[in-house]
Amino acid sequence: MIENKRLVLYLTLATLACAVLIPLVTGLNVYYLTVLIIMVIFIIYASAWNFLTYSGQGSLGHAAFFGIGGYISTLIAVKSGFSPYLTIFIGGAGAAAVGLFIGIICVRMKEWFLAMVTFGFAVIIQVLVASQFRTVTGGWDGIAAPPLISSTVPNYLVYEYYSILLIAVIVILLFRTMLHSKIGLAFSAIRENELEARAAGIDPVRYKLLAFMVSAYFAGLAGALEIHYLGYVTPEIFGVDISFWPIIYSISGGLGTLAGPIIGTIVITLLWDGLQSLGLTYGRFIIIGVILVLVVIFLPRGLVSLPEEIKKRAPKWKVRFSKLLSK
Amino acid sequence: MDIGLDIFLQVMVWGLYAGCIYILLATGLNLIFGVMKVVNFAHGQLLMIGAYVTFSFFVLTGFNPYVLLAASIPILIIIGVSIERLCFRPILGTGKLNEIFISIGLIYILENVAAMIWTDEWKVIQSPFESITVTIGSMKIPVDYLIIIVTTVIILVALYIFLKKTRLGLAVRATSQNRKAAMLVGINVERMDMLSFGIGAGLAGAAGTLWVVSGQVFNPYMGSVPAVKAFAIVIIGGLGSIPGAIIGGLLLGIAENFTVLTIGGAWKDAVAFLILIIVLIIKPTGLFGEEAE
Repeated sequence: MIENKRLVLYLTLATLACAVLIPLVTGLNVYYLTVLIIMVIFIIYASAWNFLTYSGQGSLGHAAFFGIGGYISTLIAVKSGFSPYLTIFIGGAGAAAVGLFIGIICVRMKEWFLAMVTFGFAVIIQVLVASQFRTVTGGWDGIAAPPLISSTVPNYLVYEYYSILLIAVIVILLFRTMLHSKIGLAFSAIRENELEARAAGIDPVRYKLLAFMVSAYFAGLAGALEIHYLGYVTPEIFGVDISFWPIIYSISGGLGTLAGPIIGTIVITLLWDGLQSLGLTYGRFIIIGVILVLVVIFLPRGLVSLPEEIKKRAPKWKVRFSKLLSK
Repeated sequence: MDIGLDIFLQVMVWGLYAGCIYILLATGLNLIFGVMKVVNFAHGQLLMIGAYVTFSFFVLTGFNPYVLLAASIPILIIIGVSIERLCFRPILGTGKLNEIFISIGLIYILENVAAMIWTDEWKVIQSPFESITVTIGSMKIPVDYLIIIVTTVIILVALYIFLKKTRLGLAVRATSQNRKAAMLVGINVERMDMLSFGIGAGLAGAAGTLWVVSGQVFNPYMGSVPAVKAFAIVIIGGLGSIPGAIIGGLLLGIAENFTVLTIGGAWKDAVAFLILIIVLIIKPTGLFGEEAE
């Protein structure tokens, strides 16, 4: 166990070192930087989604929070002229407030209802933003968002990348601290058996709402970062795709682990970009869909559990293999 | 705004017709949930496939699109049964969130296979009865609306007879009431899973055909909005309750059309969600839902 902990620490440091060094090694290549920035933003987003599942809840509409964070941050930055580095936190707070509202409606619901309500919420908010609030949001055309760092600064993408990476590291450390504290224990108690948790003096409603708010907050933060990085925001941000990405990343990586969303995001993003360079437009969605189905059926604990599964099954394979050879 | 009786009745009829498609979707969802305790989030995508199957046969054969129900329902039943066998069977009973994740994978697969086959442009076909209207009192009702309402009633009555009057229907109901007990009396529950998923998918296919016939546009990504409405109906009516789905569907269809009339078209899609929230605040298990597991 101690060995394992040390291994995890080394792996984490190695990943971080890679994240810091890759832009420098590749000579500040713009293509790699854009891939890395999106990857890190989605690591925050996927981790935020994953945080919700610790409390036994799930959401199919996190794009709602992602988009609300983006829109609020953009609108405030445009109206007030504050730096986006300040307004992203306000965007997150706005998303958290909406998250609390949805949480209050959903908190006593079972998984299916929760999934349906969140799924529906993202679809509806897209309609509202595109049509009802058109005067503020610019309808389907969207609005321009001020960049994190003005593009007149030389190598601005590099600064953006490192600042986003720093935020991601802080966010993940924050999640880690929370999950290793009393809150994390309460979450797993609620997840395993809500009735027993209540008997042990834990108020499930309070903790579930907390999980929803924290998750929505960081999803909103990630959304705001993405929007300021892209430089514009349209209602497409509430799309079903944006809701599903964090789920796909978290599941393929490993649900309910801190490393899962990170590994999942890295692997799937690389795969996605690889398939894109092969020229598969619809095919890559189908491949991602098939991977998701296969992972849920054959590797329910995600890529994180892959070494363990191989260790467990290797002896069987060895026997089979030697049998084949002896024939 | 002053709404006269004739406008009121007219909107009621529109609501009935709009509700029909939602009812077919929601009934399928409820049937599947009742038997398997699984919610298929890719149900709207089955409607989309149904719409394209109808479209393809219409372009190929030129038959009256209503007749093509005879093509879309069986094809969707086959697709539904394969989905159940390949995707949902292996994860049954593993974890409540897994079926949701499988559905997401299915949504990706179905939408993009459709986009590969039929491209992602919006399509529409015209019903042969498009310009015919029936005048009842002071109301003018397109004949298509009436045919759609009648077709839905026929399908639902057939489903009712199947569930209540046949031995197979009895077995489906038994499985949905108590899976273990059904197993004990010798019902092959896995076959019931397959059957209910197939029927659910077939109903979605019928909804797809009716969607096309009523002159609504469709593309490979249109499935999520009708699916969201079907979910809303399922929650409003109570998960697993087929009468609930019918009443919820009618309520939603009528409410939507009154919203268009009074507040404006943009709120049409949002109203389902507003009703949903109000119902959940008042009665978290839905209007006709069971109290607890």
